[in-house]
Amino acid sequence: MSPPRNTHYPVLMGTLRKAGKRPSEPDRASAPWEANLQATCECLSWRGALDNLERRRAEDTLGETTYAHFPAHTRAALVTAHLLLERGRISEHELETRMNQVRARLQSS
Amino acid sequence: MRRFAIGDRVTVRDATTLFHHRTQSYTRGRTGVVVDHRPEWLIPEDEAWQREDGRVEPFYVVRFNQIDLWPDYTGLELDTLESEFAEGWLVPAEGGRR
Amino acid sequence: MSTTHDHDHAPIEAAGEISEFDVLETAIRGLAIEKGLFSPEDHRRFMEWAQRIGPHGGSRLVARAWLDPGFKQRLLADGTETSKEIGIDWLDPTGTGTPSDFTYFYVLENTPKVHNLIVCTLCSCYPRPVLGQAPEWYKTPHYRRRAVRWPREVLAEFGLHLAADVEVRVHDSNQKSRFMVMPMRPEGTEGWTEDQLAAIVTRDTMIGVALPRADWTADRSPVATSR
Repeated sequence: MSPPRNTHYPVLMGTLRKAGKRPSEPDRASAPWEANLQATCECLSWRGALDNLERRRAEDTLGETTYAHFPAHTRAALVTAHLLLERGRISEHELETRMNQVRARLQSS
Repeated sequence: MRRFAIGDRVTVRDATTLFHHRTQSYTRGRTGVVVDHRPEWLIPEDEAWQREDGRVEPFYVVRFNQIDLWPDYTGLELDTLESEFAEGWLVPAEGGRR
Repeated sequence: MSTTHDHDHAPIEAAGEISEFDVLETAIRGLAIEKGLFSPEDHRRFMEWAQRIGPHGGSRLVARAWLDPGFKQRLLADGTETSKEIGIDWLDPTGTGTPSDFTYFYVLENTPKVHNLIVCTLCSCYPRPVLGQAPEWYKTPHYRRRAVRWPREVLAEFGLHLAADVEVRVHDSNQKSRFMVMPMRPEGTEGWTEDQLAAIVTRDTMIGVALPRADWTADRSPVATSR
């Protein structure tokens, strides 16, 4: 497979603006969403949509370019979304719409 | 029939390939010693394409002296590094067996 | 409530605040399931497995090897098979033929003359069935690139300094094998039970960036006063 394209997806780049910049601390405790994301990555690899090894390599390359300013612990999520978008598995519109729905649900609860 | 025995000195080929491989760039052209045999496996180049009829090769554990891997190695002369290679990535080192 | 946080000191995940990455993760998972990329059952099973694994398997293997020479011999000869003796089956849970699957497990014995260190330069392969999830630092290019080239400096950063007659042997797990280090049994542990020994075999001692000590267990807070 060719290396991931260095595309900037506004829906993903916007997460940093919303979340705020802060360097990743070496000893931070991981948040619950990270465990969920890790399981999601395993499922995507196991069922064939996105191989673990490819994703990890993309995390390295995109982590030095497109997502260089994002904390290290967020790169798996960003790169997973990036690759699914790049491969047309999900569309930017779908992702943005879903994120808006999820965010609204969390805000109202 | 395995090509290399434990104790053989081998050099990692510096082949160019478009396919997924797992031969690290820092080992290319480097010489080490076979220290163990591994079972025969599907090679990574064919595995990435999920070929049922992919090539199976014997694998080897090769041990390198760190001073042979890095021109400016800052550790000690007795330090080593081991990694695994498919038979196809190895050739006999010049000068033959130790 | 404002949805933008422009100040640098704003925490990404303060308690009670919505995490954008939580939102992203939830969205990815929901869409992936809807599109049939995997099932909710698949996800639940991986969550359960991840919560179950930890370094206790590896600690048990080392502690038992320290006490039982026969077990130690079997473990060093065939790590995959011998793991079953403590209930760890390397072909479960994945068991499928994906490229990133591990199939062979090797335990690397430290000796007075050889100190082993594990790394995966190509990705960040890790012996999860016996050690659980890899620590964050293990997965970083910072560790992966430096461990192969400047191993003694990396060990020194972890507080580990080895004598000049000890060979530092780095294992780059670039293929199907997965590795774990069997550290040497420290002084001051004579007469200990397997449980007592397992408690001092911490994750970092099995990666190779630390040595076990009779007076330190991983579940002890660094600032705890001595009992």
